[in-house]
Amino acid sequence: MHASLDVSSDDLSKVSSLFKGISNQVSAVTDFIQSILKKVENGESKTSKGISFLDVKYQLLLSYVIDLTHLMLMKSEGKKLEGDKTIERLVETRTVLEKMRPVDMKIRYQVDKLIKTATSGEIAPNDPRRFKPNPDNLVSKLQQEDSEEEGDDEDDAEEKGPQKYVPPKVSAMHFDGDLTVQEKKDRLIEKAKRRALSSSLIRELRDQYNEEPEEIAERGTAPTRRFHEAAKHQQEFEEGNFIRLPVTRKQKNLKRKGETMTGLEELTKFDNISALVDDSKGEERDTPAKKKSKVSSRLRRSNKKKQTKRRKKFHKS
Amino acid sequence: MGDAAVTIRTRKFMTNRLLYRRQMIVDVYHPGKATVAKTEIRERLGTMYKTTPDVIFCFGFKTQFGGGKTTGFALIYDTLDYAKKYEPKYRLARHGLYEVKKPSRKQRKERKNRQKKVRGTAKTKVGAGKK
Repeated sequence: MHASLDVSSDDLSKVSSLFKGISNQVSAVTDFIQSILKKVENGESKTSKGISFLDVKYQLLLSYVIDLTHLMLMKSEGKKLEGDKTIERLVETRTVLEKMRPVDMKIRYQVDKLIKTATSGEIAPNDPRRFKPNPDNLVSKLQQEDSEEEGDDEDDAEEKGPQKYVPPKVSAMHFDGDLTVQEKKDRLIEKAKRRALSSSLIRELRDQYNEEPEEIAERGTAPTRRFHEAAKHQQEFEEGNFIRLPVTRKQKNLKRKGETMTGLEELTKFDNISALVDDSKGEERDTPAKKKSKVSSRLRRSNKKKQTKRRKKFHKS
Repeated sequence: MGDAAVTIRTRKFMTNRLLYRRQMIVDVYHPGKATVAKTEIRERLGTMYKTTPDVIFCFGFKTQFGGGKTTGFALIYDTLDYAKKYEPKYRLARHGLYEVKKPSRKQRKERKNRQKKVRGTAKTKVGAGKK
């Protein structure tokens, strides 16, 4: 990198004008800074309560400018810049400044407001951007307004004082909204896996290869187990409350199922263990549980009626 | 007929001072026999708790599947007056201490048909005008 010595007269004039401008500005800046310094030394303007972030920013900018001038000085004297520590300092300062930029943007609003209040010296009362919340705004001004406006008609209806709170008639539903579609799918798959792990097939496999001692326990079929649990629960309730509960048709049927040998179907039914099988087509085959078709209640009732009619006819014949 | 085969045991015995009674769960073991009648259970309980059987009220007897064991509830009142005050009417009726008075079926149906002609609170006044 050698400076070319073929400079034209235009360039020379430009350079000289620029240098003159620099010297003028430098003198102006030094005067200004000296006046500020005098102010601070005299204690006219306090700097203790300034925003420390801005202090850091000023210092960094100042050091940046100083390093730049140092570089320019060295260049103008014709020295080499290679391996100079000034460049490292410059790079460091530059990176820190760039990191500070987003923070600066965030507090820009506050700083602008402060400057505005400092310069103008007053705060507009209608300013909707006041800092503190106003608790008076929480009081409902509707009643007062109504009584003033309507007056003659509808006196009794509105002004009844604090009215009784009527909760909305909405039944509680399970809230699923926090889960994304992917999360729901993952949960379904997890449930299917857990179900598959406890299926009879996997259990037998586990017993076959397990080294623990074999436990033989009476393990009833699912409907009988359910029946026994329900019966136990009902028994405890009845004995605790000294009352006998009425028996619905569903319960009667369940009881019949529990006392007879209805587990024969389970011998031939095997659980679905597709969740454990690592398949690329797993998602396509993943069918949800059998859905109940949405039939209107009237249609359902008429269907039921037809069923009972048919059954009675069958039993008569 | 206090047969030795019939055993009565009581569980969860509690003295209910608020209602002036003692209440318990009764387990009756009667292997090879039909369910024991409530009157006999009352007599047995009377001898067990040294009271007359007329202040003892039993209800809710259910025999377990297969037979042999029956479970029910029993209440023993301090006096018959308290029993008449605190027992529900249908249980008093079982002992003959209370009679439900209702008009004959035909009259009930006639009243119902008369009520059908009127709307609202006037329905209650219709019954009085039995012609």
